[in-house]
Amino acid sequence: MKHVGQKAAPYILVALALAAMAWAVSFGTLEPADFTFSNGVEIQTVDPSLATGQPEGRILNALYEGLYRMLPSDDDRTRLVPMPAAAESHILSKDGKTYTFKIRPTAKWSDGSPVTAQDFVFSWRRTLHPGTGSKYAYPIGDYVVGAGKYNLSKVDPGDKVEVELDDRPKKEQLFPRGTILSGILKEILKPKEPKYPTGKTKEDKEEKKTLEGDWKKKWTYVVEVKPSTDKGGVDWNAKGETRRFSKEPEGDVEMCLHTLLHFDESVAIDAPDDRTFVVKLNYRTPYFLELTAFYPLYPMNPKCVLEHGTPNWTRPENIVTNGPYKLKFRRIRDRVRMVKNQWYWGADEVQLETIDAMAVKSPSTSLNMYMNGQLDWATNVPSSMVPELTKRDDFSNAPMLTIYLYRLNVNHESLSDPRVRRALNMAIDKRKICEKVTKAGQIPARNFVPPMTDYLPALGGEFDPEEAKRLLASAGYPGGKDFPALDLLYNTLDDHRDIAQVVANDWKTHLGIDVNLRNLEWGVYLNEVSNIEYEVARGGWIGDYLDPNTFLDMWITGGTNNETNWSNKKYDQLIIDARSESDPAKRMKIFHRAERILMDEMPVIPVYFQVSKNLIRPYAKNFHPNLQDIHPLHILRIDPEEKRRVLRAEGIR
Amino acid sequence: MIAFLLKRLGWMIVTLWAVYTITFFLIHAVPGGPFDSERKLSADVQRNVEARYKLDLPVHEQYFYHLGRAAQFDFGPSIKLADFSVNEVIAQGFPISVSLGIFAMTFALVVGLTAGIISSLRRNTWLDVTFMGIATVGIAVPNFVLASLCVMLFVFHWQIFPAAGWGSLRQLVLPALCLGAPFAAYIARLSRTGLLEVLNQDYIRTAYAKGLMPRRVVMHHAMRGAIVPVVSYLGPATAGILTGSLVLERIFALPGMGSHFIEAASQRDYPLALGMTMVYTVLLFVMNTIVDLSYSWLDPRVKLN
Repeated sequence: MKHVGQKAAPYILVALALAAMAWAVSFGTLEPADFTFSNGVEIQTVDPSLATGQPEGRILNALYEGLYRMLPSDDDRTRLVPMPAAAESHILSKDGKTYTFKIRPTAKWSDGSPVTAQDFVFSWRRTLHPGTGSKYAYPIGDYVVGAGKYNLSKVDPGDKVEVELDDRPKKEQLFPRGTILSGILKEILKPKEPKYPTGKTKEDKEEKKTLEGDWKKKWTYVVEVKPSTDKGGVDWNAKGETRRFSKEPEGDVEMCLHTLLHFDESVAIDAPDDRTFVVKLNYRTPYFLELTAFYPLYPMNPKCVLEHGTPNWTRPENIVTNGPYKLKFRRIRDRVRMVKNQWYWGADEVQLETIDAMAVKSPSTSLNMYMNGQLDWATNVPSSMVPELTKRDDFSNAPMLTIYLYRLNVNHESLSDPRVRRALNMAIDKRKICEKVTKAGQIPARNFVPPMTDYLPALGGEFDPEEAKRLLASAGYPGGKDFPALDLLYNTLDDHRDIAQVVANDWKTHLGIDVNLRNLEWGVYLNEVSNIEYEVARGGWIGDYLDPNTFLDMWITGGTNNETNWSNKKYDQLIIDARSESDPAKRMKIFHRAERILMDEMPVIPVYFQVSKNLIRPYAKNFHPNLQDIHPLHILRIDPEEKRRVLRAEGIR
Repeated sequence: MIAFLLKRLGWMIVTLWAVYTITFFLIHAVPGGPFDSERKLSADVQRNVEARYKLDLPVHEQYFYHLGRAAQFDFGPSIKLADFSVNEVIAQGFPISVSLGIFAMTFALVVGLTAGIISSLRRNTWLDVTFMGIATVGIAVPNFVLASLCVMLFVFHWQIFPAAGWGSLRQLVLPALCLGAPFAAYIARLSRTGLLEVLNQDYIRTAYAKGLMPRRVVMHHAMRGAIVPVVSYLGPATAGILTGSLVLERIFALPGMGSHFIEAASQRDYPLALGMTMVYTVLLFVMNTIVDLSYSWLDPRVKLN
């Protein structure tokens, strides 16, 4: 036996190697897709309720379709406008708050069934439901009447509520749900609130969160449960039965999973019939149509979600979608293959049959693959290559709705004077940062709102070391004398460090202020910023829709993302005024005035506006740079003949 | 041999438990969590999300819960790849990493042994000097530098291979070559030294004296002794090839275990990171056991115990 083993060993090895090679070859070569692009990091999910991020957006925009869809405008292809999609039209009420959408009769799911208004109700409800844990519930929650309260599971005595009993078919599954009881909340019995730690460290905050959460679980909801009618509705006029529910019941209290605002009664999302979808907003929102084109508001197929549960419904073999493309397969951290959806109402206009979204994290690899003909579109390339690439005509370098900024903690003693903050802004040579450090064509920021049509930015704070010096002196620190060393915080990344070094150097040279650079790992950095324990901290913001509001309403007093301690009553009032202003021009003027206040007070220093870095083969037609960096795949046109010719001429493929 | 394997299996279980425990507490001790983001979730919503992954429980309760599941080979759902379970991620990544590893190892052995044998037989000729010079450089150059060089030469200059990706044999050649190169270099040096030593021994002289052909002497009598250091190097080499592929998978955009492992750790995807660690542990343990077994195959003097 041993002898045989010894003799056979080399042969076994060779055989193993051959078998391995045969095995690897057996994966076979995939038929290349009609269009292939690099999509950055691997997407987290194809579930619209749970997705966040741009790579996810590119896939979801192809797989699904909202009521409206952002498409290039007919008169200016570089401007995206909301166009009817799953809805064929809408009617806006006179007060600008009620939208009545008509669902397109030809809108179909990929299994051939029609897309209905009820599907949208189901999907928006799913996104809003606190059990879903959607990070992007706010585009509905912040605007739709009752939706925010539902999302945050807030209920008050007197509210119509829905109580979900603890009898779900599968406990960990949100849908299908347990029995839902409807009724009126009489009161909430709360046990004594625990004492919370007062510290500001992460541990203390966690501790407080846990204690508070545990305490809230013990609340007992006293509900007058109304009987249901024969038709399955709720008889609100009948006298109900008083019952008590809690998530952690004691004694004769019943167990419930959620006690929420009654969705059908109190959240203004309704489907009077299959084709009519009505939404009522808290206030006038000129960009609401654009929000309906945002993936958290896309419809999901209720039958599919209920039958397979989360996350199984997202599997290629189960998933049902309503967009121009269907999910064919996913190979993790390799590609998402999509194929044309024959049931799509506009399928006749969709040219490309198959599309591959490659998960290529490294921008250098992405560039290599593009140059090698493996990609038709590279969504990101290394910044260091941009000066070279701008010489090519297949490279587009357009401004985006993204700002890079420094937050200032206005409660910090040396930063409490607006003159100091303005001086810090004026002493930064932003042009140098864009040209020497970031190098990808970024635009030095002279205000907060990225360049948008129709909006007049409140420009100011140009690089002016002399004026900066004068301002600092008038604040009591001539030549930076007695100014305590500033602590500049950023999350660990080379790009942030390089920029911080230029800023620190500028402040030292022009103002005589010493700066300590401090880098922290992402999670720790976020914690310090949200606790406002920093002095100066790097930050960024990506606008969600094309309106100044997305860059300005974050700085209101106590805003979740304000994180500077800055508070200005006049500013807050202007942001609120803008909501009720019906005249678009006046509304923009209000935003301009608000931004002027921000520029004078300078709780944040705008550094630069980010630019997109798209490399796209010229044979791919109908691709246009735009502010949102959204490029619908279903309108792309490629002449296969031309593609073949071009690639052959370059000697690739 | 059965007793040896059983004993090894016992030790493997202990090792797996130890690795699991240490890894579990280490990754939970690292600052930050999977749901850190610039956009904050409301406290209640965050709690619901955490509850889905049992992150709301105290760490020791989480540990026992997950350990119980892991013992049944169920690592639960991945947090950051929300549509997949950890087992599915492993099932997709493992074959890719393994085929890459096998290619790299085959390349390393074929090239390394060939170069080593030629060098030792043609000792101190220009051939020997050239091979060993290349080998020294090969050991010193990190694989990502080699990868960049290969991409420049074979992708852009000669346009033989695709730049990156996975799916065909051609796409596997460059990464396997870059991954295997340093090991080929090391194997070349090892086999050269080993063979030189053996060739000077008495039994080789006896073999020649009996009139055997030089080829038979070298391949049959000398090689068996010379290859032992190479075989004992295969254990660490496997480890090296597995960990070395982390960087190369990024450069060549290969969807193997390495890229999943790095991402899991940096995104705080606890279940995925744990699952990956366990797979690597099993793999290394098994490879080391195979190497130990092969000693007794190659050298009858070695007894398993």
